[in-house]
Amino acid sequence: MTVRLVVALLAIAATPLEAQQDDAARLAGRVSPEVAALVRQLATDAAARGLPVDPLIQKAIEGGAKGVSPDRVVIAVRGVAAQLDAAAGDLREAGLTPLDTEAIAAGAFALNAGLAGRDVVTLARASRAAYGAAVTLRVAGTLTALGVPAAETVALVSETIRAGRKPGDLLALPGRVQAEVARGATPAQAAAGLARAAAAHANAPGQNRPKHPHP
Amino acid sequence: MSGRDGADGAVVRAVLAGDTERYAELVRRYRDRYARYAAQMLGSVDAAEDAVQDAFVRAYDRLAECRDPDKFVGWFFLILRNRCFAEQRKNRASAPLEAADAVAAAGQPDGEMETAERRRALQRALLELTPEQREVFVLKHVEGLSYDEIAARVGTSVPSLKMRMHRAYDRLREQLKDRA
Amino acid sequence: MTDFHPLVKQLLDGEVTLADLPPGLRAEGEEALRLLGAVHREPVTLPAALEAGVMTAVRHRAAAPSLWRRLTAPREVRLRVRPWTLAPALAAAAALALLLSPPRPEPKATTVTVRFVLFAPQAQQVALAGTFNQWDPAATPLVSTGASGIWTATLTLPAGEHQYAFVVDGARWVPDPAAPAVDDGFGRRNSVLTL
Repeated sequence: MTVRLVVALLAIAATPLEAQQDDAARLAGRVSPEVAALVRQLATDAAARGLPVDPLIQKAIEGGAKGVSPDRVVIAVRGVAAQLDAAAGDLREAGLTPLDTEAIAAGAFALNAGLAGRDVVTLARASRAAYGAAVTLRVAGTLTALGVPAAETVALVSETIRAGRKPGDLLALPGRVQAEVARGATPAQAAAGLARAAAAHANAPGQNRPKHPHP
Repeated sequence: MSGRDGADGAVVRAVLAGDTERYAELVRRYRDRYARYAAQMLGSVDAAEDAVQDAFVRAYDRLAECRDPDKFVGWFFLILRNRCFAEQRKNRASAPLEAADAVAAAGQPDGEMETAERRRALQRALLELTPEQREVFVLKHVEGLSYDEIAARVGTSVPSLKMRMHRAYDRLREQLKDRA
Repeated sequence: MTDFHPLVKQLLDGEVTLADLPPGLRAEGEEALRLLGAVHREPVTLPAALEAGVMTAVRHRAAAPSLWRRLTAPREVRLRVRPWTLAPALAAAAALALLLSPPRPEPKATTVTVRFVLFAPQAQQVALAGTFNQWDPAATPLVSTGASGIWTATLTLPAGEHQYAFVVDGARWVPDPAAPAVDDGFGRRNSVLTL
């Protein structure tokens, strides 16, 4: 019993009191005391569910800076909490346990950008050691935020991972899509073209790279 | 039970003030409150015992973060829930069938073989669902909560919960038909 | 294998009764109710020894608080990426964020230098507010490069996802026109920078 307890304890990642005091310090003076108290309660509940707390604090600070009414700040923070919950569920469905808070935050970002839960599940499943779920979901969210439709986003990210060259290739995708858009393509066309190029490279490693403008 | 909530707040505050031994009151009070939920989520009473014990210890570690000591039990539930969800993956490999039989066999009257077999079949099928699907099914059909109560407790919207539940119904039907 | 009919799912949810179902669905409804009837609802009792196990651990912690605090410190998962070069956007009237540092040989750098640019010839002052500076418009003013109407600021940021917007003349929140944009939850848009 004692041995099992020790093992279980080492696996726990609890938030010490110091971190909680940091949250209070960050909120002080940026939102009203009532909003701060509510946000800290939401943060405590979120932490108990294993979710990252920073996105909640950030959203509250943002609302305060933008001069938004207290009610709307609280609504927005609850919205972030709901997205974090949904992302955690999607990551679990993809089998990515134990969950790390960075992947959950990235999943929530992807959902906020406009991807659906099933897209997050698909992308999380496709992610691998060199292309962690956090980076995969961050890039996918950014592509969606650029205007690439969900289907093309999932295809492009999946093909890039499958082609498996350098981890930096994933992070380069938004810039490459932007470059193609600047040349007159729609975001969907740009993404589809890059996906085809990635697939062609993955399937025919010995051949010359297809004629494709470099960023 | 609501009359006890005031007492919970007093006990939590006492423990935070240094009276460690009083934590045992909370353990005694709530040891079995979510035992059935944990057993259904994890598929065995043994796993539930471990999960509930770990959750009480973790709740002690983080007691200072319990913003509303009068609502200790709701906050404790979230810690236990997180522990159950973290456990799912590890336990899938280890003999879930035996585990499911252990939960269903508890308290079965003799001679009701068919009922017992259907119960075991449903237990096994429940373990095949995703944790989220199993949880909403357990909270509604075992613990008897409404969708609104479940939503308030786990922080998910009612439409999302219904979507998960309906997917669970279909998957359960599929699992049980295969065994018919 | 067919799914349950939506009405049967409502039956399972307790929102309709078997009598509410059309005759053609009765059999399926009864099958569904049999499924629910097989649910195991007996209470589960855990061993009394559980309390002793918990209190043993709790007493250890009460006796040596600093040890447990160290063991339970949060694990931060830090993302390490190689800096890379963004493709510059070409439109002159658009604002962009450009990366300045060339790719470095060491594979584990965690910060990137970024230049923010806004074309705003009518503005008196322009500031940058985002997740990297607590959304404080006073923290990062942009510098005007003269009559061209171009305002710039250069920051070194950690790898990860950042959201930001420009604040023009202290009051107008303007997202970066050529950057990816997301809903900010307050009815406006934030720009996204993924490093």
